[in-house]
Amino acid sequence: MATVVGGGGSGNAGGADDQSSVPIRQPVIARPPRPRRTGPELASTPLVVRRREEEETVVTFPSLVWKEFLAGLGAFIFLLVVSIQVNAPLLQRANTAITPNPAKAPWYFLGLQELLERFPPVMAGVAFPSFVIIFMILTPYLDRNPSRRPQDRKVAIALFTIYLCLAVSFVVIGVFFRGLAFNWDWTRILGHPGVKPPV
Amino acid sequence: MSARPTEGNPLRAFASQVWGSIFRHGLPTTDKVAARTALTNFFLHIHPVRVKKSAIRVSYTLCLGGLSFFLFILLTISGLFLMFYYIPSVDQAYQNIKDLQFVATFGLVIRNLHRWAAHGMVITVWLHMARVFYQGAYKPPREFNWAIGTFLLLITLLLSFSGYLLPWDQLAVWAITVGTNMAKYAPIAGPYTRYLLLGGRNVGQGALIRFYVLHVVALPLIGFILMVIHFWRVRKDGFTGGL
Repeated sequence: MATVVGGGGSGNAGGADDQSSVPIRQPVIARPPRPRRTGPELASTPLVVRRREEEETVVTFPSLVWKEFLAGLGAFIFLLVVSIQVNAPLLQRANTAITPNPAKAPWYFLGLQELLERFPPVMAGVAFPSFVIIFMILTPYLDRNPSRRPQDRKVAIALFTIYLCLAVSFVVIGVFFRGLAFNWDWTRILGHPGVKPPV
Repeated sequence: MSARPTEGNPLRAFASQVWGSIFRHGLPTTDKVAARTALTNFFLHIHPVRVKKSAIRVSYTLCLGGLSFFLFILLTISGLFLMFYYIPSVDQAYQNIKDLQFVATFGLVIRNLHRWAAHGMVITVWLHMARVFYQGAYKPPREFNWAIGTFLLLITLLLSFSGYLLPWDQLAVWAITVGTNMAKYAPIAGPYTRYLLLGGRNVGQGALIRFYVLHVVALPLIGFILMVIHFWRVRKDGFTGGL
């Protein structure tokens, strides 16, 4: 069931005086399916079609506040249990004369460190991250597809999924598969017969 | 309704007046009272009074934005406790962390909580971004809020990165050395950026105090201001909800 809000309704006002038994809203409902619109057209059309069940509203207090409270409480209890069980790492006092091997960036930058292993520094350290940040900010302006439904956004979803998979796999490689001198090292995960995996 | 118990009891009448002056509403027994509560309570007025049911479904939001904000608050509070003990000096910082672990009551748990919540926030902010992308929630009219969100993601990473140095152990110093070496590769500006960030050519006292000030004042302040704008725009641009 579709309700038309906005500009579409005014066209039916003239039809009311012919006193036919046709309900006023029928022309609106019988309207052919909306043609797919592109960005600029969408911006100039005030017509908004919403499904009725989407318009059902609730008071945020307590329905939303309650959910937020439960989510926060759950997160807090989870973190508290983890914090009691697992200690944050603390190695020896900093010593600039002794370089640990491997020397690794924090895990969320290990994707970048992984890129540095594979590409020239200017590309990996500067060009790629700058491109990703700028491209991310521009995404809503570059994506002219007005639809939010997944079936209409196959390309966007595929591109973003590829990006996420690459980013996550580079981080995973950096954390788990890079050993001495940041070389590839299976033994960190799989172990090695007779040899303790390096920590 | 029975007669008010405050009648003829000055103490109860006073208590009732105090309570009524703080909370302008009763229990949310009806929608009307609930709406008035959201309107008149400072901490609740960040929410709209009514919201589309589909916009707050847990299966839709996954609570990720809210959890990120909750972790930010948790990090602010636990970070405040840590600040009572921590001195950003290369001579004392490491011993302060040791004291937190072994001397200060609950110091170990607070430090652990701060550490794991920081990692958690990096993860929830990333997942929040992915969630918003997959649901196309960045589309007009929310383009600008997506951009603010991008900056918030960067602030989150920088907050975590600047905090990484503070324990002044081998892990901290060498992770920051590797991390800031990446900045060095930018043409022309690279080495200057690294020098500016570290306050010197190596990770030393200059870097520690800079990272400390960035971590406890500058970045949280910038992050907080961006968050306020982010939340305000969520309301002004309208909720998405439902696909």
